[in-house]
Amino acid sequence: MTVSERGGRPAVLPTPGLLRSEALKTLSVRSWWALALPVAALALSVNVFGGLFGAAVGGLRDEAAGILPASLAYSLSLASVFAAVHGVVVATAEFRHRTVSGTYLVGGRVPVLLAKSAVAAGTGAVYALLTAVLGLLAGLLGQGAARLPSVGVLLAVVGIGIAVCALWSVLGVALGTTVVNQAGAVVGLLVYVLLLENLLSLVLRSGTEDGRAPAAVARLSSFLPANAGDIALFDLPARQLGGRFGPSIVESLAGVAGPPPGWGALLVLLVWTAAGLALAGVVGERRDIT
Amino acid sequence: MDPDGSGRIRVEGLAKRFGAVEAVRGLSFTVEPGAVTGFLGPNGSGKTTTLRAILGLVRPTSGTALVEGVPYAALPRPGRVVGAVLEAQGVHPARTARRHLQATGAAVGVGDERVAEVLGLVGLADAADRPAGGFSLGMNQRLALATALLGDPRILVLDEPGNGLDPQGIAWLREFLRGWAHAGRTVLVSSHQLAELGQIVDRLVVLDAGTCVYQGGTDGMRGRAAVRVRCADPARLARALAARGVLEIDHLAEGELAIAADAVLVGDTALAAGVALYGLTEERGDLEQMFLRLTGGAA
Repeated sequence: MTVSERGGRPAVLPTPGLLRSEALKTLSVRSWWALALPVAALALSVNVFGGLFGAAVGGLRDEAAGILPASLAYSLSLASVFAAVHGVVVATAEFRHRTVSGTYLVGGRVPVLLAKSAVAAGTGAVYALLTAVLGLLAGLLGQGAARLPSVGVLLAVVGIGIAVCALWSVLGVALGTTVVNQAGAVVGLLVYVLLLENLLSLVLRSGTEDGRAPAAVARLSSFLPANAGDIALFDLPARQLGGRFGPSIVESLAGVAGPPPGWGALLVLLVWTAAGLALAGVVGERRDIT
Repeated sequence: MDPDGSGRIRVEGLAKRFGAVEAVRGLSFTVEPGAVTGFLGPNGSGKTTTLRAILGLVRPTSGTALVEGVPYAALPRPGRVVGAVLEAQGVHPARTARRHLQATGAAVGVGDERVAEVLGLVGLADAADRPAGGFSLGMNQRLALATALLGDPRILVLDEPGNGLDPQGIAWLREFLRGWAHAGRTVLVSSHQLAELGQIVDRLVVLDAGTCVYQGGTDGMRGRAAVRVRCADPARLARALAARGVLEIDHLAEGELAIAADAVLVGDTALAAGVALYGLTEERGDLEQMFLRLTGGAA
């Protein structure tokens, strides 16, 4: 008899069957591809026109080859928002449609949270891959392939994009499990990512230019979750574009001060995700399902 | 501690408070295998809260609810031990019945054959590939039952399963539950209407305002039924009965008495006491009346 076969202590890790169950649930409703449509549309349009990035560095004509990884990074950043929304939707759908009792009865709460997170991370990775494939195609067509960016850089950007989207999907599941109300959680997520975090960053950085606030406060802006994801994505393309001025390009793109290196930013996002999961685990475990 | 495989449910000193509302207090009872246990009580008496506490969906404020000797959350393969049909249990409206069962079945650890089996068992085979959003209340109840049966569990817990079922559906469900219990398994089925469970119930747990007011066989409840008497001098008859140890006497309107005793004893006592009887009716066997009396409803 293995440990998981015995009673006494609730299991934590999901069984393969539970993972399959959650995958079937995601695939049997249309929210995952309904959210994939805008992801695809954004990937195409951002990379065809070079997006904001092309305009921002319009002066650096010689570095045209660097624009594709950058616009790709930007579209991956947008994809991560949809990945997060998807995570929120799959977690809150259980409560909205009152399926959560049945789900908890056969799966157990913590294993269900982890299984949902794993499947949502997979969906997030699919969004990133979709963005990468369509973005590269559109980018090569639209930005011109005069000077191809190095395959290594592109692969690295796509790999980081997959990680960022997967992490945001899990954060979405954690948020949805904590908040439960579908409309509330989706709106809350979007308001935070698109508005609140930008305002927070502005406030954190506001005092530094004239030296009223210490630089350490401004640097906190790099440790907010959406900013951290952006830094991770923009770090490499910015170095390609601006060389040693890379970090300041990242600063202006992500709206942060004194960004850590890309891998550090990815680690920051990972910590946020782990913290979100832990909170969702505790809140979800204590909730009465009536 | 491992589940003991007994199919027994044991609730001990269970209490649950939602804010200011004390839904259940000091509730204790045991549900044995091989019988249909009816869980009766008026709406709002705490039935659903109790069932959900047994299933680990509601955290008790105090007390315990054990399934086969362990809390539900500690069952290693809960879907194989307990099947539950709960009120307000949903299916994603866009998912077909088959997909819903496949998704649950994957977590329980059963395959597509079992899904087809339970669909046939509850009579949903023809509707299997339609989205559940278009199902009637009765079809949803059948789907919920099919879901509960997936893991071929030893224990069935059903919360108001008759809701939305047509008379044929209810008759079918009764037969099904009776057969289930006769096969040596456990059935705990709640209802606010005794008539709905009718003759299939072997044991009763009656709940009122969050506490247990009766538990035991249905015979025990029938045995407490009353004799109604209309007589010339109710007070004298009551005294005479009290002298013979019959103390459960209700004084009803127009001088009638409801007496918890055998009709022969009441008649003999009245004769000995010299009280003329104008009418004597036995209410023996009327579970509904007793249920209403126990739960404070007007008889």
